[in-house]
Amino acid sequence: MIEWTGLSPDEARQFLANKDKSKRDKRMSLKEAVQKFVKDGDNIGVAGFVNGRQPIAIVHEIIRQGRKDLILSFQSAGLAIEYLAGAMALDESKNSIKRLELAYWAHEAFGISPLFRYLTENGKIEVEDWSNYNMSARFKAGSMGLPFIPCRSPMGSDMVQRNRSVIIDCPFTGRPIMLLPASHPNVAIVHVQEADIYGNCRIQGPTYTCPEIAMASAHTIVTCERLIEHNEMTRYPNRISIPFFAVDAVIEVPFGAYPGNCHGLYYFDEKHISEFRGACEKFRKGDTAPLKEYYDQYIFGVETFAEFIDKLPFEQLQYVQKIEPGIRLEAGFTVLGS
Amino acid sequence: MPKYSDDFTTQEMIVVAGSRSLPDNKVIFAGTGLPMVAITLAQLTHGPGIVPVFEAGAVGPELSRGLPLSVGDSRTTYRANYLLGLNSAFELTQRGYADIGFIGGAEIDPYGNLNSTMLGDFPDGYQRPKTRLPGSGGASDMACSCERTIIIMVHEPRRFREKISYITSPGYLDGSPNARWRAGLVGQGPQRVITTKAILGFDDETKRMKLVATLPGETVQSVQDATGFELIIPDDVYEFEPPTVEEIRLIREVIDPQGYFVKKKIKE
Repeated sequence: MIEWTGLSPDEARQFLANKDKSKRDKRMSLKEAVQKFVKDGDNIGVAGFVNGRQPIAIVHEIIRQGRKDLILSFQSAGLAIEYLAGAMALDESKNSIKRLELAYWAHEAFGISPLFRYLTENGKIEVEDWSNYNMSARFKAGSMGLPFIPCRSPMGSDMVQRNRSVIIDCPFTGRPIMLLPASHPNVAIVHVQEADIYGNCRIQGPTYTCPEIAMASAHTIVTCERLIEHNEMTRYPNRISIPFFAVDAVIEVPFGAYPGNCHGLYYFDEKHISEFRGACEKFRKGDTAPLKEYYDQYIFGVETFAEFIDKLPFEQLQYVQKIEPGIRLEAGFTVLGS
Repeated sequence: MPKYSDDFTTQEMIVVAGSRSLPDNKVIFAGTGLPMVAITLAQLTHGPGIVPVFEAGAVGPELSRGLPLSVGDSRTTYRANYLLGLNSAFELTQRGYADIGFIGGAEIDPYGNLNSTMLGDFPDGYQRPKTRLPGSGGASDMACSCERTIIIMVHEPRRFREKISYITSPGYLDGSPNARWRAGLVGQGPQRVITTKAILGFDDETKRMKLVATLPGETVQSVQDATGFELIIPDDVYEFEPPTVEEIRLIREVIDPQGYFVKKKIKE
């Protein structure tokens, strides 16, 4: 028996047995969704991949409301976790992360994560390292209703010494194989391009691990760039990446992954990422003022994500849309044509 | 016009060396940073048939929409032949579809084990490391399950150490016979280490790192001096062919004109 973070497989099964799975209108405000589904101490499954389609709008709302002792589970993340870490760095009594279950936290071409260094090197959070495949497969096991999933990597790595994986001799081949415990977060936070009012989601570009995280979690909050007609969504049933009954709240939030990349809509805003990351780096080196100013201006100084977007120069937003090389959203079968 | 460039940086050299080490018509699973630049250069020169795979899900895309800044961004998906997510990318690697994994790391030991997790004492200092690094990402999965791996690294004594702080991505583990097989791994392990100073390989018997070739401006001695452990120096070490004018032009003008990954100077 291991100590489960979030729900145990049996708890997760029981939770779904009792859940209302009806096809109903799930629109609500982001504020209401976070009030309803994100609690202190929750294990949050953070969707997206590094700075691609991360649920930034949802994270800003969590920070405004304040949540403590969070466990964050993800494969590779960048800005979403950096924002939560920045809120913790500024005021631990209002926002705090207790534990990370992760494979990678940095910003690839934009640099390392200053606040990952700050929090770990000062012993402020607990860390459990996994690989990208491990975290993805853990969510997949959760979504499959299995307590564990076998995996061939990374045996031989020091990761296995300090995470909850178990290496056994395979009962069929006799060779060593690694077993990973399922992950069932209390709540998944996901940003997609298109959703309907019932929560059906159509993801464009890589799906990352978004469907698995949503299906594994007890609750799922979805923000989308566009709410589309249900009839349009169901014209292509096999393009639905997340089915409605895995979703609890749907909120239309254009630019909801900004300043990250959202396939088909906008590329990275390097300028804004550098502004925020730069403030985090200054904080790590002891100059706390720029980070406080950033939060006061863009997060605590506004009520909604739209007000944050409204503070940015229109030309800057136009630019990140213009340089996006992905295929533009179309009403139809969006993976075709360019 | 001369064939070879006489004006190039060490990072440009490493990209050229990385590119030339990639065979055409192979499936190459590329990590973030320099591997992405090298794979693009290879596609534009000797390897138009290379099939790139990115861990966020893209298989066999055309890398003609600008240098990706992330292995999951929109530039990795243009005209891809298959596109799902992380599970699908790693599953096909486990199955054996990925010939070569192309990865980097912060520290490496003589057996090709890589660290990209932490500097400091492990396990005692794990929850409070001296320096925290980004973590495995998909590198450890590639190191385990791609059929072979090619490693690309900056060559400095502090990065080439007899004992590294933490093994993130397994190489030949402790170098003992069949160590990878006994650990349960399916891939065959690292083939080449491409650095800012040399091309390195591994001794068939001991699995310790050996010098294969010195890069322009380097000698056997200068490479050994920059390595924090003793290298095996075979008799047939050769001098690597310098970058061509065309390769340098492609890096500067076509692949990474903004210098996202190929910096003018390497950061200390």
